[in-house]
Amino acid sequence: MDWPAARVSLWLAALTVLSLLPVALWLARWLATSSARARPAVEAALLLPLLLPPTVIGFYLLTTLGGAAPLGQWLGERLGLRLVFSFEGLLFASWLINLPFMVQPLQRAFAAIPRSVREAAWVSGLSGWRTFWRIELPLAWPGVLAGVALTFAHTLGEFGVVLMVGGNIAGQTRTLSIAIYDRVQAFDTAGAGQMSLLLVALSLAALALVFALNRRNPLQER
Amino acid sequence: MLSVDVQQDGPVPLAARFDCQAGELVALVGPSGSGKSTLLRCIAGLMHPSTGRIACDAQTWLDSERGVRIPPQRRRVGLVFQHYALFPHLSAQRNVALASGRADPLGHAAQLLARLGLAGLGERRPAELSGGQQQRVALARALAREPDVLLLDEPFSAVDQPARHELYRELAELHRSVALPIVLVTHDLHEARRLADRMVILDRGVTLQQGTPAQVLAQPRNARVAELVGIQNHFDGVFRRGDEPGWGRLQWGAAGGAELRVRDKRRIEDEASVTWVIPAEHIGVHRSAPAGPNVQPARLVEALPLGDIALCRFELQAGGAVVQLHQTTAQLQRGELVVGGELFLQLDPAGIHIMPRRGLPPPH
Repeated sequence: MDWPAARVSLWLAALTVLSLLPVALWLARWLATSSARARPAVEAALLLPLLLPPTVIGFYLLTTLGGAAPLGQWLGERLGLRLVFSFEGLLFASWLINLPFMVQPLQRAFAAIPRSVREAAWVSGLSGWRTFWRIELPLAWPGVLAGVALTFAHTLGEFGVVLMVGGNIAGQTRTLSIAIYDRVQAFDTAGAGQMSLLLVALSLAALALVFALNRRNPLQER
Repeated sequence: MLSVDVQQDGPVPLAARFDCQAGELVALVGPSGSGKSTLLRCIAGLMHPSTGRIACDAQTWLDSERGVRIPPQRRRVGLVFQHYALFPHLSAQRNVALASGRADPLGHAAQLLARLGLAGLGERRPAELSGGQQQRVALARALAREPDVLLLDEPFSAVDQPARHELYRELAELHRSVALPIVLVTHDLHEARRLADRMVILDRGVTLQQGTPAQVLAQPRNARVAELVGIQNHFDGVFRRGDEPGWGRLQWGAAGGAELRVRDKRRIEDEASVTWVIPAEHIGVHRSAPAGPNVQPARLVEALPLGDIALCRFELQAGGAVVQLHQTTAQLQRGELVVGGELFLQLDPAGIHIMPRRGLPPPH
């Protein structure tokens, strides 16, 4: 068992979830309630990571964020940020490819809240912010859980982008899924098997948690 | 007092103007799509018409000329939504408490729930309450705001018939006990007639007429209002000035129709093509010809029993016009009314309300 890889995987999954959640909440709520003309374009762009092969995304990230690319150079010189073959780069790539996994369930959850419920809160004197915390977020809670679990499980299992952008640096960017690949290449089936089992268990636990917590959805109690 | 005067061209056209005094219950009545709910949403601040003015007591909530647009949170409006829009994840008491501005919101909510007959049900979630109970929670939430105006958007439409009558009684009681302007949106005329001090008839966003239910039903301003308020006995005709001052003649339907003696209020031209209504209470049904004007021989052609009452259709001998009246089923059972039997209808001139046909297609 490659414990440093397990640590990198869990750390990456946790940070991706934490950093993505606030942005995804805002974006999902906007997509669920807005009638702006830009909405379909934003929705399409958001779904792109679901359809494109991870290697394609990895390739573009590598070519735009690498030290030879202007953006990569600028980030390195101005902000001291290296986004290829580093954990930060891995987090950024993970953040990007997980957007649809987090936003989609949240968007569906916000869209399921009847407009009249939101309006009833405003008419009851609740500000937009209080309406969000007291009414919308509790009602969208099953969607939040689903988004968190999906993002967590998907980050654990991501391979292509991670390999392209992160490389395979032990203790830094080598995740469980890459370690499994390594072990298989080295004919260490037992090691690969252990780590695969761990990934299956973690993903299953994440999804089981969602379904368990999702059983009581107040919006379905009518 | 609430005063509303709003206009817009779209998406829902509006040209509506009405007032509602403190302690008065005004019903906005109209078919679906007539803009009733839109108007209510404008008052609550949930949408803004392109131009207009909405004021409540000394506060201006909307004044398009001065750029005033107060958000819903700062308008003291209690709104009961059509399907209540209760917060499904909160108990009844917390639903109400959330709208309360008092220092002890939960205590205030418990008081209001008890006042509306929901004592002991405060801990239940909306899904655990009946339709009528949900409606009361929604009403309690609207009152928890201590509103300056109470708005009710078809509040009885999702409640079954027996519960509805109980809720009518409760609303009437509430109306007596609070000195608030209350605006009730409904498409149900019986509801409006039963509960409202005044009715505002809306059609395609335009206020066509306002007045007490009795006034509107007896004297609709025009044929569209008569149609909207569901006046059954609504006919075409030709008005003719008579020799006797204050009286004229009304030809019922096309040439050959019966001729009626009617009041001439000098509002209708001689020989004008008109449309006219008569409320049922101004039509008498007699087995032998009574004395007095406007007695017309007729035949009972159909009697449709509807429980205690029956909808009867009488066909006039002259011109063949059909008059619809409700009679008691007992009269039919006792043989006082027999389908196919000859009778006499008497139309009271005081009840005949004549309107010009302006803007209407020619009679057929």
